[in-house]
Amino acid sequence: MKNLPFYQAHGSEIELFERAWRNHLPLLIKGPTGCGKTRFVAYMAAKLNLPLYTVACHDDLTAADLVGRHLIVDGQTVWSDGPLTRAVREGGICYLDEVVEARKDTTVVLHPLADDRRILPIDRTGEQLAAPPNFMLVVSYNPGYQNFLKGMKPSTRQRFISLAFDFPPAHEEELILTGETGIDAMTAKRLVSIANAFRALRDHDLEEVASTRLLIYAATLIKDGCEPTLACRVSLVETLTDDQETAVALREVIDATFGK
Amino acid sequence: MEEYVGELWHKLVTRAADRQHLEATVRLEDISKTAAIFFRALGGDAGLSLSAAPSTRHGARRRWMDRLATSGERVELSWRDGETLRLPERISLFDQRALNRDLYLWLVALSAATVDNSLPWILRNQSATQITLERFPGLTPRYYQLVEAFLPLRPNPADLPPAEAAQEMAIRKALQYPGKVATLPPSKIPFHPVPLWMHPTPPVSLPSLVNSNDGAPERDQTDNPNTAKSRRKHAADRTDMPDGKDGFLMMFRAESLFSWTEYIKVNRPQDEEDDLESAAQAAEDMDSMTVARDSETSAAKLRFDLDLPPAGEDDAPLGDGISLPEWDYKKQFLQPDYCRLQEVVSQQSAPCELPSQLRQTAKRLRSQFQALAPTRTWLKGQQEGEEIDLDAWVRQKADLLSGQHSDHRGMYRAQINQQRDLACLLLADLSLSTDAYASNHARVIDVIRDSLFLFSEALSATGDSFAMYGFSSLKRGNVRFNYLKSFSEQYDSHVRGRIQAIKPGYYTRMGAAIRHATTLLSAQPQRQRLLLILTDGKPNDLDRYEGRYGIEDTRMALHEARQLGLRPFCVTIDSEANEYLPHLFGAGGFAVIRKPEDLPKELPLLYAQMTR
Repeated sequence: MKNLPFYQAHGSEIELFERAWRNHLPLLIKGPTGCGKTRFVAYMAAKLNLPLYTVACHDDLTAADLVGRHLIVDGQTVWSDGPLTRAVREGGICYLDEVVEARKDTTVVLHPLADDRRILPIDRTGEQLAAPPNFMLVVSYNPGYQNFLKGMKPSTRQRFISLAFDFPPAHEEELILTGETGIDAMTAKRLVSIANAFRALRDHDLEEVASTRLLIYAATLIKDGCEPTLACRVSLVETLTDDQETAVALREVIDATFGK
Repeated sequence: MEEYVGELWHKLVTRAADRQHLEATVRLEDISKTAAIFFRALGGDAGLSLSAAPSTRHGARRRWMDRLATSGERVELSWRDGETLRLPERISLFDQRALNRDLYLWLVALSAATVDNSLPWILRNQSATQITLERFPGLTPRYYQLVEAFLPLRPNPADLPPAEAAQEMAIRKALQYPGKVATLPPSKIPFHPVPLWMHPTPPVSLPSLVNSNDGAPERDQTDNPNTAKSRRKHAADRTDMPDGKDGFLMMFRAESLFSWTEYIKVNRPQDEEDDLESAAQAAEDMDSMTVARDSETSAAKLRFDLDLPPAGEDDAPLGDGISLPEWDYKKQFLQPDYCRLQEVVSQQSAPCELPSQLRQTAKRLRSQFQALAPTRTWLKGQQEGEEIDLDAWVRQKADLLSGQHSDHRGMYRAQINQQRDLACLLLADLSLSTDAYASNHARVIDVIRDSLFLFSEALSATGDSFAMYGFSSLKRGNVRFNYLKSFSEQYDSHVRGRIQAIKPGYYTRMGAAIRHATTLLSAQPQRQRLLLILTDGKPNDLDRYEGRYGIEDTRMALHEARQLGLRPFCVTIDSEANEYLPHLFGAGGFAVIRKPEDLPKELPLLYAQMTR
């Protein structure tokens, strides 16, 4: 078995993932950015000893990018599998990160794969691939995103079982920081307290709040010997806001926690 | 001559007695945004607004020179109530700017701590200090720095009579060792104010007796929590407005009458004492007075009688009224069937063309917005794409075979797919405040009218489905919802006629209007639904729909809209909107147009940005 990446569970998500995998159910993970969705999938892939095919979805991602396309090689057309097709052929977890970012027509190719048929028809080659038992489809998205023109079609959503992720409770987040970076418990406690102070500003002064990932960045810098208030400033304040006055207020919160 | 000498004398003694450090002054307005965010980050109630506290007579012993100069007897105390966090307008207690600024932040941090309000004042402040220092240990050195700088400014216990000295000692100890003082010894004369602590809430309005148990300084005037500085400013703004065309009774300076009501409520004995002070001081006091609770109804009635707008007769009702609920944040309860909303349509409107001064802009906007209209096209000769571009391939092959130079052009076809599946409902505030002048030659209502015209021009070019309504209200039983254009209707001369006929109405009961707009918009089949609200100020109406009540009801209505999958967005020309709009719409949910006359051009562009 491969080395497991660090993952701090905060509920029954590991057990649920395994159940979904055993029963061939596709899984949707939703939660704010940097709360551990991708790490969770990586952890589960390692735990179940499965290959992981990750696709970071973007605005221009089309069905062809997922399924595959014809390429011209030496005067011939050659079919080239996309990551989704490769995962279906070889088995493993196909993880579509931020799936709502992809174009709307893209997700429709997932439909026959995500219900009980578990097939991937490739209309360009006339093939119809049946997914092997160890194939699993996992998608994730961030429901709080500002891009309100995008959302998932209900017909797509209702093919998945859904896990909601959020930032973990304070003591668990502290464990994540110490586990991931090896900083001392006191510093971890202070970082989490800053993050929770910033999270209180969600939807009011800040559009996005401090993620666990950003806290890990800050903790990493501190562990490397960076002065704590400076580490917080570059990894939290300047990342979260461009507004000068808001930045001053956020720095005050950091000073109030770590001291001037 | 006498006056001149008197003035000199006053200046002389005031300066001698003034222990404040003006050169190190920090003003609330300089740090208000920082302070507000700091407050919320530390766990303070996001619904509170921040405002300057009026000064208060503290009644403590003053130095001889202070008494001579009649200065030093007033202090601006900090306190919070259900709506507002009040901080001193300026702090110049210490000779270093940094310390004065730290004091502001300390007060903010202290007020964000939740403490048991039933505790006596001295215990409550000690407990809040302990909680704050525990949660934010980084504040500890700064707090003790403040205490250290502050103690020498307090009267020396050795110079005070025994009872006062005991009290003073207790306060000093409580500051230095928070949590160690259990009670405040009684004394006939109130102690020197403690600017490092919060005043008990709400400020007590009894004018005379010193309550030795609580021991906090007393307020000398009736004060209503609503007297926020911003509101005073608003009143002044409205007084400034020039008389409008339909200068009827309602254009009458209602505020001046309002202030007479206030004036009657002045506490006479206190007023006489005020005669000793300068006129400016008196004026400042006047500003901070409001109607006492019991006379609020009469004040409201007064405004009601004056504000009968002439436009009411011109509108015909459409269908039966609609009952809508309203959120009471104090009870945390959605009161069912609390408001009555009536859709109305103007009878005065006649079909018309676009006003000539807008035609140029409209033409430009139309051509810009046509680019947003949905298209679905294949691009040829791309380096990447879903399909092979056979034409390009064949051409390249042929070129190669015939020995011609072949440039490496792309041989794939890519599809550009811009689908717009969008419905937008524009809700325009048509309250009386839109009668004010926005610039030298246009009233707010004119700006809104032009905006509606250009918005319709732009949207009809995109093909997006849209509707437009206006709203105003007069108490909960009479919320008017002006029909301008429905979703199913084409944008034509009849719509233009209705836009042309909009008039300033009554007040701004935003919650009810948003709820009805939500019903209309959520019935649309489009997947993306944008609720665009165009306004010039806070929600307000006569029957308690102002201040936090109105804000919270609006917030709840917006929350309901979001739950139904709508996206609310607010465009405002209120320059003070940053104080309350983040609470309602979130940081990215609104736009403030600094110059109202830019609104007609900005609005369609904002729409384009949001929906691109």
